[in-house]
Amino acid sequence: MKYTEKEVHVPLCAVSTTSSLVNKTGTWKFAQPLFVDRVSPCNQQCPAGEDITGFMYLASQGSYEDAWRLIMEENPFPAIMGRLCFHTCEEQCNRGEHDDPVSIHMVERFIGDYGLANGLKVEIPDQDRKERVAIMGAGPGGLTTAYHLRRMGYGVSLFESKEKPGGMMRYGIPAYRLPKDILDGEMSRLYEMGVEFKMGTAVGKDITWQSLDNQFQAVFIALGAWEEAGLMIEGITKKGIFHALEFLAEINLGKEPEIGKRIIVIGGGNSAVDCARASRRLGAEVTIVYRRGEAEMPAHTEEIEMAREEGIQFLFLASPTAVYGEEIVTGVKLEKMALGEMDASGRRRPVPTGETSDIDCDGMIIAIGEATRVGDLPPFISHRGGVVDTDRMGQTTHAGFFAGGDIIDIPHTVTHAIGSGKRAAVAIDRFVKGIKGEEDSPDLSRWGDSGNVSLARLKGSSLFARRNPSLEVIDYGDMNAFYFDYRPGIKTKKIPVDERLNGFQEVTEAFSEEEAISEARRCFNCGSCTECGNCYIFCPENSIKRDPDGYGYVADMEYCKGCGICVNECPRGAMKMTFLEY
Amino acid sequence: MRKVLTGNQAVAYGAMLSDVQVVAAYPITPQTTIIEELADMQAEGLVDLDYIRVESEHSAMAACIGASMGGVRAFTATCGQGLFLMHEMLHYATGARTPIVLANVNRAAAAPWSIYSDQTDSVSQRETGWIQLYCEGNQEVLDTTIMAFKIAEGVRLPAMVILDAFFLSHTSEPIDIPDTEAVRGFLPPYDPGDLWLDPDNPRTFGSICMTDVYMEFRWQIQRDMERAKQVINEVQDEFGRLFGRNYRQVEGYQSDDADIVMVVSGTVASTGRDAIDYLRAKGERVGMVKLKTLRPFPREEIMAALRGKKKVAVIDRNFSPGATGVWAQELRSALYDLPEDERPIIYGYIAGLGGRDISVKALEGIYEKTRASDRPDDIDMWIGVNYV
Repeated sequence: MKYTEKEVHVPLCAVSTTSSLVNKTGTWKFAQPLFVDRVSPCNQQCPAGEDITGFMYLASQGSYEDAWRLIMEENPFPAIMGRLCFHTCEEQCNRGEHDDPVSIHMVERFIGDYGLANGLKVEIPDQDRKERVAIMGAGPGGLTTAYHLRRMGYGVSLFESKEKPGGMMRYGIPAYRLPKDILDGEMSRLYEMGVEFKMGTAVGKDITWQSLDNQFQAVFIALGAWEEAGLMIEGITKKGIFHALEFLAEINLGKEPEIGKRIIVIGGGNSAVDCARASRRLGAEVTIVYRRGEAEMPAHTEEIEMAREEGIQFLFLASPTAVYGEEIVTGVKLEKMALGEMDASGRRRPVPTGETSDIDCDGMIIAIGEATRVGDLPPFISHRGGVVDTDRMGQTTHAGFFAGGDIIDIPHTVTHAIGSGKRAAVAIDRFVKGIKGEEDSPDLSRWGDSGNVSLARLKGSSLFARRNPSLEVIDYGDMNAFYFDYRPGIKTKKIPVDERLNGFQEVTEAFSEEEAISEARRCFNCGSCTECGNCYIFCPENSIKRDPDGYGYVADMEYCKGCGICVNECPRGAMKMTFLEY
Repeated sequence: MRKVLTGNQAVAYGAMLSDVQVVAAYPITPQTTIIEELADMQAEGLVDLDYIRVESEHSAMAACIGASMGGVRAFTATCGQGLFLMHEMLHYATGARTPIVLANVNRAAAAPWSIYSDQTDSVSQRETGWIQLYCEGNQEVLDTTIMAFKIAEGVRLPAMVILDAFFLSHTSEPIDIPDTEAVRGFLPPYDPGDLWLDPDNPRTFGSICMTDVYMEFRWQIQRDMERAKQVINEVQDEFGRLFGRNYRQVEGYQSDDADIVMVVSGTVASTGRDAIDYLRAKGERVGMVKLKTLRPFPREEIMAALRGKKKVAVIDRNFSPGATGVWAQELRSALYDLPEDERPIIYGYIAGLGGRDISVKALEGIYEKTRASDRPDDIDMWIGVNYV
């Protein structure tokens, strides 16, 4: 057969004589991808400003020590945090929209316990700075500031009126939530780091504010909220009536407070639940009396749940109006309440109805709130009813004086106190060095606009590499969740109720290594590149390459035609498209 | 070794014996058991292949094209709607000169929905540049699968092995399975020459061609499709020598002295053999020609086989609306070039669509209708249709 006289000189199929590198498809683009590290909602939410995304990734890889060190960049107490923190991070977890939120606190607890069990130590600079900082109060806020300042090389003197450090963590929290050996283990690192502890030293009595101002380059005040709100009702001075902190302090010092076996706890916060659960462990029948409904209780749901499991009764919409008894309390007169309009806290206000009833008891604990002892504050700083005025970083109205913890306007939790201590350490460092610039403001190192400052971000290096960090927070809709399977979270296990009531042993059981790693692997690592390689695999122009100098990938703009497939296929939303202007 | 195998298992054995290296497929009845069988074979370590799960037949063919351009032997299987979805990529496979083998289990087109056999799916791919090899029985299915690789690689064009849904795909027959080493001797590993995606010699394949060379590429496809007629015969001859089973693109059955010849394809051929025996016993001078290849169409062979016959009854288990059955079209086109006095009259019959049985009795009826009239009533005649 003949179709032509001449042989045609083309190959069998269309093929170039050189590689496609001659085709600079980059000229086509009107948009280009950007590798941008976004902030996960958990990181933004964390009051302590931990890099949860990062430590979960390191834990998922079995790098427990690195995970511990990454937490220690931001928070000196991972083993305490994993137990005490009410983990609002998990409420924000993007995985919650997928199946179950990741059990962040249980992984953190595992990592914290790993650090304690292996005696991991934190490095401090060889050479101390000459400046010294005084810290007033050895609660979570003061201890955190001391820790970060020591790591920056400052000399730190920590003044505390009590005998041992820890503040509320030691005197307010019962051992079934935080075992004392865990607390002591975490505290001991601060001694090893060379913090000068001046215990049993009360400011105003043993030392004056003026002398501190003279001797130290900066002062951090974290005196806490130890002033207990009282009930102004008839018969309140009878025996068998305690205030919450006074009661919990005795428990935590291993004493048995002189209280009866049928106890009424007044209040609806976490302290009320702590008092009730501790009393139950002393063998008492306990009823919590709260003036609003269950939905309005400030106590954490999980705590209420465990209290109920332990046989604690709840009486809602009731407020005490008188205490019965000769010398010792024998009963309380209660007035029935109704819920009225919303108050400033966004909860419905309790309104008295005039209807009363009596309840028998032989002990009563008042847990209706704590405040700062106003008289302990330095007279030269501004405050409103004991709530000290500070800027976002903790600077008070008096230069060189900083404040944090329960005396400033933040929620009264250990985690918030730790977060305030970190901010103050940054602010003190800047104050001592005289740095004022807007450009290197610590706000740029926050986890999102409303998140806490991250010291790793401020330093610009981290055990979990972050590229081109931004303040943008990533939500579930911005990710390609198609790449994540559905796997329910591991439920935490609690010891049986009869064992719990036998003493003060820890209620929540630890995760095994297998459980911790499995849970850490459930983390989406939202907004962070984990080098999964999807961008590299999907790029039709082979323009995405491994970053030759470091972590992750780079896009070669000579060939990137701006199609956006890489951004679409990034499971974690660690890339975005930017439009070019011509 | 002899085994009782369904047609679909026969395909899988053929692919396994051909040492296929990549399978990318998407399940669809009645094909699914082919790729299931291959997955089992891979799991059991009987064959060393990469199995690519894909989200559609379009992707299956795209993955096969990629694999074949990577220089390895690629295989897929589909049917009916799956083949229709693949259509775009079928053209591409030809233009990219990727000698992929695809087993198509003939399934009728929707709507209305049907999983039963007719050839509409494969004949609809007539213009894609794929070699099409139709099979009569399960032994032929297995043998053709092996031969298909050798033919496709010989002309660097893709090939389809075609078997009837259920009549073959799900029906068991005793099959002779050739020896693995003997098959390796017959079918050496695929050699892509220098036209493959070689990471050490990066080049762009299939990018845009301007008007100055596009026709030349297409001309080469036609040149090699024509050459395929010869290659198919050579491969069939070699296979016959080595394994003792002979196949032809155009196979006559008692047709040499016949006045009337029925032209059939696929499983109708096996029913046809019985019908011819029955009619011959009654003294009728009737024969049959079985066509194995639709593309390349064996024009010269068919002209030789039917030259001088009085009447030819073409049985199409397919239909091109607005025209006629596809085999009848092809025959009319080929036989028109015979001298007028040697040119048979063509009777086109449409039968067995959507899996309806084409029985010996139906073929007898077709023969009677052809014999009884001087000219066909119509350009095509529908058999067994209950007109409303």
